[in-house]
Amino acid sequence: MKKKIFKRFLQDKRAITPVLSHLLLTVVAVAIMSLATSATFMITTNLRQTIGERLVVEDVWFNSATGTVNVYLRNVGKADIQVSGVYINHAGQSYNGVSSLQVNKQGLLRIAFSWDSEVAYYIDIVTTRGTHIADYYKAP
Amino acid sequence: MRTITRLLKREKRGISTVIVVMLSLVLVVIIVGNVVLWSYQMNQVDLERTQETLTIANVTRLEPAGLSIDVKNTGAISLHIVAVWIDLTEHHRYEANVFLNAGESATYNRTDIVVPPGVFLVKVVTERGNTAVFSED
Repeated sequence: MKKKIFKRFLQDKRAITPVLSHLLLTVVAVAIMSLATSATFMITTNLRQTIGERLVVEDVWFNSATGTVNVYLRNVGKADIQVSGVYINHAGQSYNGVSSLQVNKQGLLRIAFSWDSEVAYYIDIVTTRGTHIADYYKAP
Repeated sequence: MRTITRLLKREKRGISTVIVVMLSLVLVVIIVGNVVLWSYQMNQVDLERTQETLTIANVTRLEPAGLSIDVKNTGAISLHIVAVWIDLTEHHRYEANVFLNAGESATYNRTDIVVPPGVFLVKVVTERGNTAVFSED
């Protein structure tokens, strides 16, 4: 009995196309929704990280012994920070030291720059997400 | 009224469009809600940071070595001091862990801080990133 029904089911080719089309449509819909959901997740994560960036300069000093400008940074935000550029008087400078800071972590950034005494410099630190932390600092 | 309901029940066209619009709306609401909520939280963080103020009333040298710092929380919220900077020609950072309630004063003694004679600058840094500076001649 069972064999007969199974044979008939295999031989019957009617309504295969609608079933297949429905299946394909379901697969396509699920794929699109998964894409949309992951895109939503990525967009919100990126936006949250950009909004949550907060960086403070704890201290700045002009080191005559090493010929560098030392900037001590601290991440007081809710997202990890990556320093992408340092500018003094709007000109890009090379730097070493801490380039990425986790939440509530701090570190020293050494900027190679030949500075003059009694001159104020505009130091601008930029993160990969575009946050600027800039101020004037006067050399001793 | 009945006829309209019957018509609506029979009419199958445009259903997929409605579903797509509804799903898109759900996604948009999730994105906007998430961002608005996060912005609100960060605004709270910024507000707390602006409400936090502290002053260094006095700094005295301890004998034979060390430093005593009188700090006052002049703000409306409690604060947490996380670092002390001693700035001479060299700048030194010392980790600290002092909690001060609103309006509270405290004397923070550190015997491990060695300050050579001469002009120096003391700076305390809070967890929210605010600073107070005291210059000693």
